Amino acid sequence: MSNPLLSVRDLHTTFDTDDGTVRAVDGVSFDVDAGETVCLVGESGSGKTVACESITKLIPTPPGEIAAGEVRFDGEDLTSLPDKQLTEYRGGRIGHVFQNPQGALDPVYTVGDQLVEAIRLHRDVPKSAARERAHSLLDRVGIGDVEDRIDDYPHQFSGGMKQRVVVAMALACDPDLLIADEPTTALDVTIQAQVLRLLDELQDERGMAMLFVTHDLGVVAEIADRVVVMYAGKVMETGDVYQVFENPSHPYTKALLECLPGRGRALETIGGTLPDPTDPPDGCRFHPRCPHAVPACEDGDQPAFEDVGGSHQASCVLYGADYDEPELAEANDD
Amino acid sequence: MPSTEQQSPLFTRIDWRDQSASLLDVRPRTAGLVLALAAVAVTFVYNHQVATTALVGTWDLRRMDWLLFVACILLVRYGVVPLVANWERSSGTVREFLRRPAGLLSLAWILGFAVLGLVGPELIGMPRVDFYADYQPPVFTTSHVTNIANVECVGPVTDAGCHGTWQYPLGTTSTGENVVNIVMYGAHIALKLSITAAMIMVVVATAVGTTAGYFGGWVDDVLMRYVDFQQTIPAIVVYIIVATMYLGKGLFTLALVFGLLNWGGIARLVRSETLERRESGYVRAARSAGASDLHVLRRHIIPNSAATVITAATRQIPLLILAQVLLAYLNLSDVRLRSLGEILNRALPPLGVGWWVVASITVFLVGTVLAFNVFGDTARDVLDPKEVA
Amino acid sequence: MTDDPLLAVRDLKKHYPVRSGLLRRVTGQVKAVDGISFEVREGETVGLVGESGCGKSTTATSVLRLEEPTAGDVYFEGDDITAYDDDEQKRFRRRAQMVFQDPNSAFDPRMTVGESVAEPLAIHGLRDDDRQAEIVSDILERVGLSADDADRYPHEFSGGQKQRIALARALILNPDLLVADEPVSALDVSVQAEILSLLDDLQSELGLSMLLISHDLGVVREVCDRVGVMYLGEMVEVAPTEELFANPQHPYTEALLASIPEPDPRSRGEAVELTGDVPDPSNPPSGCSFHTRCPRVVPPEDFEFPDGSFRQVLDFRLAAENGDVDTDALAGDTALREEFGLPSSLPDPDAESVLAAAISDAASGDVEAAADRLADAFPTVCERTDPELVDTEAGHPAACHLHDAASEHAPPELTNPQD
Repeated sequence: MSNPLLSVRDLHTTFDTDDGTVRAVDGVSFDVDAGETVCLVGESGSGKTVACESITKLIPTPPGEIAAGEVRFDGEDLTSLPDKQLTEYRGGRIGHVFQNPQGALDPVYTVGDQLVEAIRLHRDVPKSAARERAHSLLDRVGIGDVEDRIDDYPHQFSGGMKQRVVVAMALACDPDLLIADEPTTALDVTIQAQVLRLLDELQDERGMAMLFVTHDLGVVAEIADRVVVMYAGKVMETGDVYQVFENPSHPYTKALLECLPGRGRALETIGGTLPDPTDPPDGCRFHPRCPHAVPACEDGDQPAFEDVGGSHQASCVLYGADYDEPELAEANDD
Repeated sequence: MPSTEQQSPLFTRIDWRDQSASLLDVRPRTAGLVLALAAVAVTFVYNHQVATTALVGTWDLRRMDWLLFVACILLVRYGVVPLVANWERSSGTVREFLRRPAGLLSLAWILGFAVLGLVGPELIGMPRVDFYADYQPPVFTTSHVTNIANVECVGPVTDAGCHGTWQYPLGTTSTGENVVNIVMYGAHIALKLSITAAMIMVVVATAVGTTAGYFGGWVDDVLMRYVDFQQTIPAIVVYIIVATMYLGKGLFTLALVFGLLNWGGIARLVRSETLERRESGYVRAARSAGASDLHVLRRHIIPNSAATVITAATRQIPLLILAQVLLAYLNLSDVRLRSLGEILNRALPPLGVGWWVVASITVFLVGTVLAFNVFGDTARDVLDPKEVA
Repeated sequence: MTDDPLLAVRDLKKHYPVRSGLLRRVTGQVKAVDGISFEVREGETVGLVGESGCGKSTTATSVLRLEEPTAGDVYFEGDDITAYDDDEQKRFRRRAQMVFQDPNSAFDPRMTVGESVAEPLAIHGLRDDDRQAEIVSDILERVGLSADDADRYPHEFSGGQKQRIALARALILNPDLLVADEPVSALDVSVQAEILSLLDDLQSELGLSMLLISHDLGVVREVCDRVGVMYLGEMVEVAPTEELFANPQHPYTEALLASIPEPDPRSRGEAVELTGDVPDPSNPPSGCSFHTRCPRVVPPEDFEFPDGSFRQVLDFRLAAENGDVDTDALAGDTALREEFGLPSSLPDPDAESVLAAAISDAASGDVEAAADRLADAFPTVCERTDPELVDTEAGHPAACHLHDAASEHAPPELTNPQD
């Protein structure tokens, strides 16, 4: 087994606020193999965005701080790299696509200039060569008549087209890893389908790995190879996309799938609210809202990961040695 | 889920035919405002038609005082009453304000300034010329003022020169006026001017800003173009013209001209706040619940621009105070007897001798300007509800 | 009691003038809503779905007369609301309420939750503080909060709780109609589920009629009895919810349904992908406004086109018209055909000769000639005439030329567009 391309180990990212220290990411580990798509999925406040911004230290410091943990990218620990070297990775071997394409493009430069700049930041190539590459990238992401549009300003593009431009920028230096943070959330559903298709094709072509952050389980099912389910700064469940959707093991994952609207059956609700991020509960973060909680859930740390089949793991005491699984399995079939 | 499932909800049992909003349904504070303004109006008419020389005894009111009355009534109604009536809510804000050292200091200075300005001249009177006590240095200091012809030292004289005394803690001017009295009288003038001019600015700016922002369209265009135009007119020039040709070089003219010409910037801020709030959920919800424009403006739009208006107004006040001093210095503001500007004019070289006159006035002015600016900043930080959310 | 629906909208239009230049002269119209009709019956929930810019929110505000409609009628219990005088208008405001999308901006930050919820009571004349407090406590408990929450400030609540408070504020006047504009789209999915089930409970308890605006078909499916699908200011299909999902009649509805990513990794890649963006509403396409993206656009009758290939031909023509054909980069006929997904030859020789001629026009640089040639030779009914909303064989109305034949041959009594 070769080393994974990206390996996040026991990552802790904290934010100092007036109300106390928010442990946004509190001991998160996951891997992304070369060529693979991993989805970080969770609701707002789960820490998924902070986790992926911590990878290349994009979190604002202060108030944010990577308190502990290791982020290995191709063998190199990014958390210990000085900023100067880190910028080589950002936009170089690791590309970023953000949720809001509006904010990712500078309104006073043409998209062509921005692309050329992105390329020349990491590659020592003449302007003309960079522009040629910009041209072919825009063409590849589906901007029609590139010759005309390359000198347009961002506001002349629609939302979906802007996101295509942002994707082109992220691809500027042929990254090995693309980190996409809710890239389709701001888009209409028909446009979302186009962008998802595009990302999928690009990934196949380039053999690029993708870390995709989203709250939308539909999108996860559409694009993920593996899924990491997060809740309140902790990983609840990881596994192959088929395993997670067909045999959701952590009660939180189950609840999340149950409350998707529009499947023609009664809506289940989780009840309760997200724990206070400055003072999370002991034990399993989800236990105050969990329908299957037992006394053992309330103490100690987040339960250790238990294998529930293959590479599929859940952080739930019910899968530990002390418990049988039937009660959960029952809730599963309806 | 609700435990009172069987019982129909209370809100379904309201008989709306009983509820008629009547125009007579006025809140006490509104009634109070109308009454107070009416009282001022009646007294004004009485003073002008019947008792034309003095209102009560020797107390004669001048036009500046009338303006001040109206301003004070508005200040009480829209500043003090809401603060006290909703003490539960405002106490939090006040405490938050006092928690900050800068806020506490600036508030203390402003309160001191206000109290001094209000009661100082009444208690210890106006600065008086006294040629037996001219050029006296402040207490704890010495000066060789006795070298000047005809100057007697009130305190003991040693080799170091004339010693200051507690009789004149801040010393006296070349004509023997007590600097303490001068500063107090200066505070009095500054206070009068700040309250009236700031009130004029706040009222006009809020009215124009909210109207422009809320109604938009051509109303907005016309009002904002006017503001553009107005901001090109220097108030100081207008004041000189109006003061010398029509209204006289008094505080009244100063308050009126500066108040009526300097609200443009505040109105702009209020307008942009209004534009933002007009589209907000609570305004839309109120409108869809049937609220009139007046209700929306009074309940939501204007109260929510209060923080902006207060901050902006407190930034204007120091400018006004300095402008008055400047004009008095240039002999363009004739505030009966001694304004700080006029004293400065006399105290600075070539006429001046004692450094203490200039120093006292400067310290007072710098302190006051600083206090208002810091107060404005702190108020903005504390009042900005976005920070809380 | 009359048989009138609670709310009937007839041919509603809302156009916004586009102003430009120094004098701000009106230089165009954005037809945000362009002639839509629908009804909401008592106790019924009707959904309006569509993508951003389709006019669904404008419909909501126009229906409540928060914006003055440009044309058309809105009847509330049979009375025309545009003819209401002030008193009637105020009574209507009491009986029709609205909930907005963003719970975070929905409350005046200076007011306690209790004051915000009680505000509509005061607006309508109930000013007694004790009575207000009593009613507010009651309603807060009914939406799942506690009576003590009345004294707290909005920023102390989470998004979902705020949306509950917003619901309380909208329901406190005991309205007959609730218009909910994207009530859950700013919320997390688990919170969405809670709000949706609360809405459902309250609706059945109070006998409320509801107009729900949403871009999310899942949400619509969850709560609506009937659904209207909007595209560029027009209603393209209206159907009972389950029927719409099971048997969509308009290609846009089909595409919209197919674009929702299913939370099932096995059904991956089944989406029908729509080409292109939503057109600019200030300059909508002629005829059926969906024809520029429609995967089932009707080919001209005189030619034979294999499935879907007319879409590519039309895409090529539209690109040529917009100047989006990059003839420098795409030298040669084959490259052009490849770029636009055109087959190497069309089976119908007449059609092929037209296409081949157009492509060589384009390849030789004369893109306009290519566009004109294609437009002349391949006229499509979708571009010429705007389809009416007519009953389809499936039993519910849709506005699409694919159903022209059905309606022409159907017995006359069934062609009545309104049921």
